[in-house]
Amino acid sequence: MLSTEISPKAQAVVEAFKKKLTRQAVLSLATCVNCGMCNESCHYYVATGDPKMTPAYKAGKVRKLFKYHVDWLGRVAPGWVGAKTLQTDDDLADLKDVVYGSCSMCRRCTVACPFGGDTALIMRLARGLLTAEGLAPEGVLTVSKDQWEIGNQMGVSQEDYLETIDWLQDELRSEVGDPQAAIPIDKPGANVLFLVNPREVKYAPLSLLAAAKIFYAAGEDWTMPSVGWDNTNFGLFSGDDKLGAHMGKLAYNQARKLAVKKVVISECGHGFRATKWEAPNWAAEDLPFPMESLLETMVEYVNSGRIHLDPTANPRPVTYHDPCNLSRSAGITEEPRFLLKRACLDFREMTPNRQESYCCTGGGGAMSMAEYAPRRLKVGSIKANQIKTTGAASVATACHNCVDGLSDLIKHYQINIPVRNVCEYVADAVVLHPAKVVEPLIPALKGRRILVIEDDADTVTYLTTLLGDHGFETLGARTAAQGLTLARDRQPDLITLDINMPGRSGAEVFAALRSDPVLSRIPVCVVTGAIDFRELMYLRNVPAPDGYLQKPIDANLLLLTVQKILHVRHREEVPETAGAPA
Amino acid sequence: MPLEVSHLTRFVMDELQIAALLFMALVYATKIRWILSFKAGRERTPARGDHGRGIRYAYGTLALPWELIGTREHPFRYVEFAVFHIGVAVAIALTLIMPYWPGAVGSPGVVLTLQVVFALGALIAVSRLLRRMVNPAMRAISAPDDYFSLAMLAAWLGAGVLAAPQRSEPALLAFFGLTAFFLVYVPFSKISHYIYWPFIRYYMGKHFGHRGVYPPKAVPRHA
Repeated sequence: MLSTEISPKAQAVVEAFKKKLTRQAVLSLATCVNCGMCNESCHYYVATGDPKMTPAYKAGKVRKLFKYHVDWLGRVAPGWVGAKTLQTDDDLADLKDVVYGSCSMCRRCTVACPFGGDTALIMRLARGLLTAEGLAPEGVLTVSKDQWEIGNQMGVSQEDYLETIDWLQDELRSEVGDPQAAIPIDKPGANVLFLVNPREVKYAPLSLLAAAKIFYAAGEDWTMPSVGWDNTNFGLFSGDDKLGAHMGKLAYNQARKLAVKKVVISECGHGFRATKWEAPNWAAEDLPFPMESLLETMVEYVNSGRIHLDPTANPRPVTYHDPCNLSRSAGITEEPRFLLKRACLDFREMTPNRQESYCCTGGGGAMSMAEYAPRRLKVGSIKANQIKTTGAASVATACHNCVDGLSDLIKHYQINIPVRNVCEYVADAVVLHPAKVVEPLIPALKGRRILVIEDDADTVTYLTTLLGDHGFETLGARTAAQGLTLARDRQPDLITLDINMPGRSGAEVFAALRSDPVLSRIPVCVVTGAIDFRELMYLRNVPAPDGYLQKPIDANLLLLTVQKILHVRHREEVPETAGAPA
Repeated sequence: MPLEVSHLTRFVMDELQIAALLFMALVYATKIRWILSFKAGRERTPARGDHGRGIRYAYGTLALPWELIGTREHPFRYVEFAVFHIGVAVAIALTLIMPYWPGAVGSPGVVLTLQVVFALGALIAVSRLLRRMVNPAMRAISAPDDYFSLAMLAAWLGAGVLAAPQRSEPALLAFFGLTAFFLVYVPFSKISHYIYWPFIRYYMGKHFGHRGVYPPKAVPRHA
């Protein structure tokens, strides 16, 4: 090495790199002949045409390090084989941009490679080295911290989690028309322990409600755990095997403690892959219980006649997006198709699909990395075109990251169709007896005051009218200043907040609300047509919003979300009525 | 009839080849031992699929170009790959046959076939070299070893075209001289990828087979 000016962090990364090499990683690093056959498998390259976006180029950043320090010829003649070490903090920043910002670890290039070089494995290895030095994107570090300290990626307290399940139980009873319908917590010896994505608890309860309805319809003996319920695992994204093992163990220990027959993992691509396949390896545990995806469980219900589906419940054309972690890392491709073909009248295949599906762009933890959002949206043109070509009226997928990633693309490319989890279509199609009875509003929430901050006059009118018609008292504000004044003067029970407003943005208003000792207690639901709000969800410089909804607004989802937030807050204010459901 | 050659040429075709081959074998043995010195990751969860089927599929894709995205979308590249590697394999075989059984490859039909195979291989090597130089995405991932290896292979196969009739001593000297050079150089260069191929495909097939990804379901995955 010519220069002795090597930064301490670069030195640490290099030293750790040599120690973390497995046989599979060495083979993936050593075998590449730069043939370029992987180039056109990558949506980053196909969408941009940028030579620096090919998998070989990106993985080449790590390969250079391998050649410099490990490869025989590279150590003798580094320039001859393109070997290069990391010396400065700028080198590390460059590596971070590549391994975090230019690759969603989707593995499409892996199945395209004539050798089978695993670029995702290489990227994860490099991410782990950077994470160990605190050089991962802020959103990844924040979420990882919450998984370490709180046990779930959205920082949901146990109290809020239990309150949400309690509220969902009420919703389930209303939905199925059975006051005995239950979402059990910590039920010993249950047949199924159901693990979920915190997004379902915090922001998107419809999929959890759908799963509960399906379990109810199947007469399943199931339970959710009070701890260790998060099936997601940022250890997979950050390359931190210890975090990966920690998150796995939280769930596995609860399954052992409750002596359940099996663990069922909700529709989360990376969550399923991490919990079922990777975390047992990271934790070095051989598990005594089987684990399966909710998709597999639902197929079993249909095949055994435990649930019956009426496809006329979903008459409009539906297509399916294969989550990378399910199709290329877990072998789950036919189950969602089996279900959608029985739950929908018009299922349309998206091509390419299954192991060759393009990434939604939200993989690899990309949704938590706000700094790379513009690049993510740009390379999403491939997936957006695929969706458009199907002519479908909605997109089904089996992953919450994909729901978010696709929703952003659909908004950005103005396709304007909804994205839902497979279980939501199945729940819509499940035949229940008696017919469902829907209660419009929990009585205790009637008269609660909601402030709508939104610059568009029509939207203010729509939201205040909709909420007013359902028993809420409403206030409307069309500017940030007016909103903050009304919030201080009228102390609403909930604020719905637009993000893109002229002048002071919704993000600034949100920060002001969260920083004010009085106003910070008011829950906020972001209602936006932009995708910038993900920064609020993941970076969490101030506590994250209590809910978010995307425009165009789905009236039912709005009411459900508002009720959920107010219900949880109401139970917190009246603790004697709170408690875990039976 | 085979050409009478000088002591130097005979030495290059025989003793030097054997020495270089032994050196290559020694380096490869060391290399395999080196690969195996790294601990292999293993799956702890019971298999969803079948390891054996996954491994067989992973190896089988070598002959199933429609199974890989790149070769399906660019079938000519698969033809290039096949012809180029056949050329190299035949040239290697020739270096083992010609010094000891020159008559076995001496008939006009065999010679012509060898020359056509080598010429096509050399042309493909040149075309790959040009693509690497011209295409920005290929240029971005290329190191001097990539260009050098292709150029040398083109030269070697070109020399094979001239050496195949066994009528020109300079051609034989060039062909076998380059062969000896490759035997020593290849284990350290990118060309040694074939020694890794059985290992990486084995682990890939085992991994994807374990999880039920390989072999893929027999359904259309593409337009």
